[in-house]
Amino acid sequence: MRSEQTPQMRSEQINSMRESIVLFFHITLRNWTVYKKDFIANISPTIADPALILVSLGLGLGSYLTNVEGMSYMQFLAPGLTVATALFTSFFESSYGFYVRMSFENVFKAMLTTPIGVKEVVFGELIWVGLKGAIMAVGVAMVLALFGLMVNPWLIPALSIVGLLVAIPCGAMGLLATAWVRNINQFQTVYSFLIAPLYFLSGIFFPIEQMHPVVRGLANFFPLIHGVRIAQSMFWQKGILEALTINGGILVIQSVILSALAYSQIKKKLVN
Amino acid sequence: MITASSLVKKFGDFAAVDGLNLQINKGECFGLLGPNGAGKSTFIGMTYGTVQRTGGDLKVFGYDPKTHYREIKRRMGVVTQENALDESLTVFENMIIYCAFIGVPKDERKKRVEELLEYMNLMHKKDMPIIALSGGMKRRLVFVRALLGKPELLILDEPTTGLDPAVRHLLWGKVKELHSQGTTIVLTTHYMHEAEVLCDRLVIMNKGVVAGHGSPKELIHQHAPGYVGIFSLDHQKQIHQIVETNKSYSLTEDTSGIYIRTNSLDELTALHTKNNLTPLQIRPSNLEDVFLKLTGQELSADA
Repeated sequence: MRSEQTPQMRSEQINSMRESIVLFFHITLRNWTVYKKDFIANISPTIADPALILVSLGLGLGSYLTNVEGMSYMQFLAPGLTVATALFTSFFESSYGFYVRMSFENVFKAMLTTPIGVKEVVFGELIWVGLKGAIMAVGVAMVLALFGLMVNPWLIPALSIVGLLVAIPCGAMGLLATAWVRNINQFQTVYSFLIAPLYFLSGIFFPIEQMHPVVRGLANFFPLIHGVRIAQSMFWQKGILEALTINGGILVIQSVILSALAYSQIKKKLVN
Repeated sequence: MITASSLVKKFGDFAAVDGLNLQINKGECFGLLGPNGAGKSTFIGMTYGTVQRTGGDLKVFGYDPKTHYREIKRRMGVVTQENALDESLTVFENMIIYCAFIGVPKDERKKRVEELLEYMNLMHKKDMPIIALSGGMKRRLVFVRALLGKPELLILDEPTTGLDPAVRHLLWGKVKELHSQGTTIVLTTHYMHEAEVLCDRLVIMNKGVVAGHGSPKELIHQHAPGYVGIFSLDHQKQIHQIVETNKSYSLTEDTSGIYIRTNSLDELTALHTKNNLTPLQIRPSNLEDVFLKLTGQELSADA
């Protein structure tokens, strides 16, 4: 049963939501201010990592693999690299980065004395990693398109959707890890047993169709593979709409669930 | 301005605040004193919603911090116990971003920050990274941050812990100035002298409840009137004999010496003239004596 809302309550809610949005914007601005200070250091993995993988795996290993899913290994590998970038940029920011700000710098203790609440801290963080993921994915796609690995380079901006949809749930996973670890070293465990397996078993480096159904089931349970599917559809210009509706839909659902979980767990850390 | 009634906060089985009643009025400088773990910071956290009460009632500006923390926080400034400055940003950037958080209009931010940096003698550090500031400078910057929103209520959570006397006196001066301009101030501290200098009224908390309340003078008068003489432990035996026969002496001992409290100065000097005991020091009772007595840290002879 829902109680009746008075117009005054409704306008209070609208005002509160408007203020949240303004605060999200300011939190993002804070993160951007910090990010651009070390712009070169921050942006270099975007270009260096995929280029390295492309050269070592694509050219090295690729010379032995002449036909993967009916294309060169380089072509097969390229889309997944945009997704991997979104995964790493979001996970590291919301795990190590968030943990340092929370436990060592106590930044949130001060932020919480302002009108900012835990809601703004958590969703502000996720909006930021989402934006970063989007920008990074587009950046990587640009580099890859230069290698001639995109069928239609006009689709480069569309990769921002992939970056956003992967970075938000992966960022939420990072926040969950932050709430879970008891010291900063334990992130290594999360990385070794969750992030690295995801990275290698989400269809970036090889098609996982022939893998054991358990592996496939697990991979499908996490966000990465769905991002890979969408990125592949965009790079190969094949079944984009289908990928966006099915895999995109799954990513949206995963984002909602993981973000809500992250919020409830981080809240326990910031509010007693 | 702040009203707490039967306020309770439990962490598991442990009650950090255990039925606290207090009233803080507009315009006063109110002190919260107590040993570590007395519940001071827990109470402070409850006033702006980072600690959620488990029982009782709490109102700040007439709002419940559980539901209306934003309305409350918009009108208050907090000098947090940890500096919690954003080390990725410079002094100026730190303050500008806080202006944005608390809703200072964009075209006023620069002016507001510069005025307050000037006020706290930090203008020369404006473009420095936080790491380049000394402990005292960081603390002054935290004051700047707390004042950016021109708060009606200023909360100082152990504002001078670990600072040298010069910075402490400077900050006291600023607090007094703000107080005289009508800002309501809530101060937690371990320094009794700080509370005596700044507070109109204070409570001494112990184990989550109020152990004593009043103005510094009232508290001294009520709980530890008179004078204190401090004697060397060498005279332990002799002093014990004297105190046993004279009930007007109240005695405390610790490793630093023997403390004898009397109602009149004459009684103390008599120990010297009659018993030939030379005290290390004689002084009027102060808040520290009240504190030690009320928090049960005094090995009370008259209990």
